[in-house]
Amino acid sequence: MLRKRIVLLSILLGFTLFISIQVFTQEAPEVSAKGKEVYEESCAHCHGTEGRGDGSAAENLLPKPRDFTRGLYKIRSTESGELPTDQDLFEIITKGMPGSSMPGWETQLKTDERWEVVSYIKTFYDGFKESETPPRQISLKDKIPYSDESVQIGKGLYTDLGCIECHGNVGRGDGTSAPTLTDEWGFRTWPANLAENWNFRGGSDTEDIFKRFIGGIAGSPMPAFEGDSFLHFGLTSEESKRLSVMENKDEMTPDEEEESGKLYEKMDEAVLVALDRVEGTELTPEAQKMYDDAMKIVYEKSWHLANYVKSLSPEKRPETAIGNNVLRSQYMAEDLPILGDEAWDTLQESYYPLVGQVVIEPRQFNPTIDSVRVKSFYNDTEVAFLFTWDDRTHNTEVEENEDTGTSYEDGIAIQFPVKPPKGPTDEKPYFLWGGKKAVYVWQWKASAQDQITELTVKGVNNVTVQEMQGDLSVKGEYNEGQYRLWVKRTLATDDKKDLQLESGVFVPIAFSAWDGANGDNDIKRVISSWYSFVLEPVPSSRRFIYPPIVALLTVGFLFGLRGFVLRRNAVSVETDTEQ
Amino acid sequence: MKTKLLTSVAILLVCSFGLIVFADNHEKSDEMEKLVFPKAYTVKAVSGGGKISGVIKFDGEVPEMKKLEITKDEAVCGAEDKFDQSVVVGEDKALKNTIVYLMDISTGKDFEKNPKIEIDQKGCKFSPHVQIVPVGQRITMLNTDKVNHNVHIFSTINKPVNKQQTKTRRRMPLAGVKKAEGPVEVKCDIHGWMKAWIAYVPHPYFAVTNEKGEFTLEDVPAGTYKLGYWHEACGSNNKEPVTVTVAAGGEVKQDFTLKLKK
Repeated sequence: MLRKRIVLLSILLGFTLFISIQVFTQEAPEVSAKGKEVYEESCAHCHGTEGRGDGSAAENLLPKPRDFTRGLYKIRSTESGELPTDQDLFEIITKGMPGSSMPGWETQLKTDERWEVVSYIKTFYDGFKESETPPRQISLKDKIPYSDESVQIGKGLYTDLGCIECHGNVGRGDGTSAPTLTDEWGFRTWPANLAENWNFRGGSDTEDIFKRFIGGIAGSPMPAFEGDSFLHFGLTSEESKRLSVMENKDEMTPDEEEESGKLYEKMDEAVLVALDRVEGTELTPEAQKMYDDAMKIVYEKSWHLANYVKSLSPEKRPETAIGNNVLRSQYMAEDLPILGDEAWDTLQESYYPLVGQVVIEPRQFNPTIDSVRVKSFYNDTEVAFLFTWDDRTHNTEVEENEDTGTSYEDGIAIQFPVKPPKGPTDEKPYFLWGGKKAVYVWQWKASAQDQITELTVKGVNNVTVQEMQGDLSVKGEYNEGQYRLWVKRTLATDDKKDLQLESGVFVPIAFSAWDGANGDNDIKRVISSWYSFVLEPVPSSRRFIYPPIVALLTVGFLFGLRGFVLRRNAVSVETDTEQ
Repeated sequence: MKTKLLTSVAILLVCSFGLIVFADNHEKSDEMEKLVFPKAYTVKAVSGGGKISGVIKFDGEVPEMKKLEITKDEAVCGAEDKFDQSVVVGEDKALKNTIVYLMDISTGKDFEKNPKIEIDQKGCKFSPHVQIVPVGQRITMLNTDKVNHNVHIFSTINKPVNKQQTKTRRRMPLAGVKKAEGPVEVKCDIHGWMKAWIAYVPHPYFAVTNEKGEFTLEDVPAGTYKLGYWHEACGSNNKEPVTVTVAAGGEVKQDFTLKLKK
């Protein structure tokens, strides 16, 4: 009897324990004190203690730190409208977000600390707790490998889907909608420059691009192109092509009206199935098949598009112009090439990254110009430079706008010391607009594109326009989100305030640039530190004269020697005969 | 030069302060501006219900409707002048686009069966400007413009939506949502001036005022209710809703006068 009771009791106890564990594991949020501690120590400065993206440092940042309370996450491996996976959050914390202020925490935080932070961040948005099913992930299978053909198909889609509206015709983020974009918090945001993929927040692999495209970038103006929002969803590629042809006609014939009408019906059917799926209705096997077939085409086309976007950037971020990559102006005997001359295509660009000026007020915490790229030629009397930089907007004047604020004029300044340093240890002027030691500056503004002003600058508040403006040839242009500026000057000038150039001497060079639409004006700008360039010395022309002369002389000498020996022998023969 | 620097520093300080204040306001008003929904709602046929109607008027100097700057696709979007729709005041100060609704009704009629809810994008303008959408109900976005639009719905409780509606796509249906929410902003990022509002609602006792500022709620079961309003620029009366008592078959008149929120 007692034994029976003990068994019964233990069963009951075990059951209660089991239930309580069950309840505990379901209900208890995984908030560890550790996650909170790490978050408050490392993340709250920007993201705020309550996760609203309003930490003390947030004010100066753009893109703004993420507000975790709305559950909108830009970088996800999940479909549109879905929350990110834990792995997504972990990876962003680990790797950071290029082109924003979010650093990678791989070295700063231990792996388990990063996971703790993931759990803690999720407590800021109830949707994580409420969602019953795991977020739907974007399938990466059946990837279409990169090929010229794929890129070409992708290029067509880029236009058809309207990517150009924001990202521009060639992808530099200079689309006509670019200047008015804001995120869901009302803060200004710029479309990605697809030619500079090292700044992509979520990485630059083709898979990353594919995921951003399919799933969209939540909270930003970037829409999702998944499923039924894709062009001609539910049609085969052939049907889609056929429909495009008809749609692009001004007027359809009655036959075409009928044909297109049928195709639209087919699309509608597929779209309704896609909506059923989003709403959580279980699909019939036929509907599921229809959806899968339609999605297969969507995914295929999306890979082509991802390949096209991938093709717009160099394989990797260019190496900075130091060491082996230092700018070496190339000698040519004839006249220097003008802007647009093919000769420029033979040169490699030297890459100078630019950063926001944050040394003195007003600071630029949110630079939009990534870099300036430079090429150069010189001859016996002149030097020519070709400067190239990307800017999403072309601003030639000051403009007031109620929504986006004041925009200023675009421009660039190229800065040199007045005298090249005598050696590597010789002190250079202060990198930011000079100081006690003056700098010699070429300043160019977008409103006067064929004109450059020579300045002598001794610090930000001490700028003098040179009295004697040199005879510089200048040509500037803006095209598809890119400035190109061509400048030519004589190597030597009569002005003591100018830099005098000589071949073989390493000369410091630095840059300032202004994107007026981003509020760059005067001191607020993007800058570089000092780099250097050199007019690559021509291996002396004597190289081409001496060796032949030496060769000739040698040959002559040998002939002479031969003659001498022959003559001497002849003499000795004569002597012999005489003997 | 020094004064210039000082001035710019001062301007920057003022601006950043302004930004903080603005951001703060934004947050607070965000919380206040939502509609109030009952915890649960049961559908029950209503017979001999009452009617609540009234007129909403604008109080104060009527702000001039700002002409919108058309920055792209001028041929389509700029064919006629467009004006900011946040305060539309008609004759006799009638205020359009105000949502009037019952906050605390828990039992009442069902939604109209299969309503056809469409939001048109025509001439790069959403119409209507304020749309009531039953929870779970699909809506159709129309594009009569032959330019690319993107439909961006700023949901936070429901799944956020941001879909491209390419120029050839005349109709794009959107999935029904799961929860009551709103009003949420609808925007086209391609044409940044395009804005509208959607309210996802759990019961049918919602109305949007017309050009004459009129609203009508019909088939209201007899009882006492809190009557709420929401307007994009004038805010809501969430803090002090008006109480109305409807008798079976009776009609209650309730007018409101709204001021711009500070």
